[in-house]
Amino acid sequence: MADILSIEALRAGHGEAVVIPGLSLALAEGEALAVLGRNGVGKTTLLDSIIGVTRRFGGRLALAGRDITRLPPEARAQAGIGWVPQERNIFRSLTVEENLTATARSGPWTLARIYEMFPRLRERRANMGNQLSGGEQQMLAVGRALMLNPRILLLDEPTEGLAPIIVNELLASIRRIIRDEGMATIIVEQHARKILQVTDRAVILDRGEIVHQAASAALLADPAPLESHLGVIAKGAAA
Amino acid sequence: MTTILIDGIAYGMLLFVMASGLAVTLGLMNFVNLAHGAFAMIGGYVTALAMNRLGMPFLLTLPLAFLVPALIGAVAERMLYARLYRRSHLDQVLFSIALVFMAMTAADWLLGSSQMLVTLPGWLQGRFEIAGIGIGRYRAFLIVLCAVLVVALQLVLARTRFGARLRAAVDDQRAARGLGIDVGGIFAATFAMGSGLAGLSGALGIELMGLDPTFPLKIMVYVLIVVTIGGTASLTGPFLAALIIGTADVAGKYYIPELGAFLIYLLMIVLLILRPQGLIAPAR
Repeated sequence: MADILSIEALRAGHGEAVVIPGLSLALAEGEALAVLGRNGVGKTTLLDSIIGVTRRFGGRLALAGRDITRLPPEARAQAGIGWVPQERNIFRSLTVEENLTATARSGPWTLARIYEMFPRLRERRANMGNQLSGGEQQMLAVGRALMLNPRILLLDEPTEGLAPIIVNELLASIRRIIRDEGMATIIVEQHARKILQVTDRAVILDRGEIVHQAASAALLADPAPLESHLGVIAKGAAA
Repeated sequence: MTTILIDGIAYGMLLFVMASGLAVTLGLMNFVNLAHGAFAMIGGYVTALAMNRLGMPFLLTLPLAFLVPALIGAVAERMLYARLYRRSHLDQVLFSIALVFMAMTAADWLLGSSQMLVTLPGWLQGRFEIAGIGIGRYRAFLIVLCAVLVVALQLVLARTRFGARLRAAVDDQRAARGLGIDVGGIFAATFAMGSGLAGLSGALGIELMGLDPTFPLKIMVYVLIVVTIGGTASLTGPFLAALIIGTADVAGKYYIPELGAFLIYLLMIVLLILRPQGLIAPAR
């Protein structure tokens, strides 16, 4: 199957600091990849570098065979990358509906479908972006990215800081997007065990490098690599 | 009394159109552009020259008075201003005040230092009466035209996709770009629109304020007062401020000519003591 995204020897960071010294990764059409790792190992920098808001020192990126290495973030988004940033970054002086439509591109994902997936957003459609709960902001950020009708979705810690019941609701939606819609997705997550259940494959990062990669099912069956790289076996088992 | 009020409102609405571009670039894009008045002057000269040298009718010159400064504004934004967005406000002030002096000198050299005069078409001269109140035709024309512009501007910002994308770009530039908004293009278009509105107001203002190479400096004081008093959180603040300043200036010069020109500064001081954040304070 053709790669929807390929990253070759990416070297990236912020300012003078190199966070990712050299990383290569490929994602197949319709594949869902979990990016795991402790805090500060470069997971967010990796996603930010794919959309292009970090400083790139070297390497190249291609989206569905097209070189996007030198494209600015807006052109990458238009080429088909749907970004859900870590801080959600909801536009606060736009209404919920404007947040969804201002950057929308035509395609199968429409306002009606987003509202059907997240009925709460429909109730809040006239609220301003700064009047939402954390869960609503996250739903809006996911909906906003889908409205771009992307070829690949980047989710940066979608469940961060949310109440457990909202986390489950959101994960169910993400599973639907991945499984039913076949959306190629990269998810950065702290809750390893929960996200492994909705992804095909996982990579574990440490100091900006891939230190382990495996099928998600294999990691669920034998969590030893999770334990050695993340030290989260107890937390993962409890969840 | 009512006549003065109507004159003041007409003058105030003109000031608002003049200041609206500055309110948008300063309030939304956080850029201090003191050269805003230079674009107003360009608009004024476009209308004056088109009428006096080419014999174009007044109304036909108005679209030109918008388009020419808008075009120059777009080019200046891409070539000059865009480089200063990330610089300090002091750098922006120094840069744009230099542009003011260059524009003034250029106008003086090209067109001379004397006042430009235009003759309004007959139907805009003189006055008519409603219920015994004399209203200048041109003042009424200004009020109607500026009201249409105010409503149009508000609708563009609040209701259109362009307006939403502009607000998104201002809220969070990084996220906006990552979601496919061409922030640079949006800012250039916004800057051009503000410059065009300034130019249009400069053309409309020849009759009220005159037009000579010192116009940018004269206007700078007024638009800065309007934006300072109004605050830049919304366009409603500058709009109210423009009406207050316009009315006060006209009434002051009529009733207390000795104090006349100073009255607006007094008003500014009082209003800023009462509402240091501007008439409409930011929501944050």
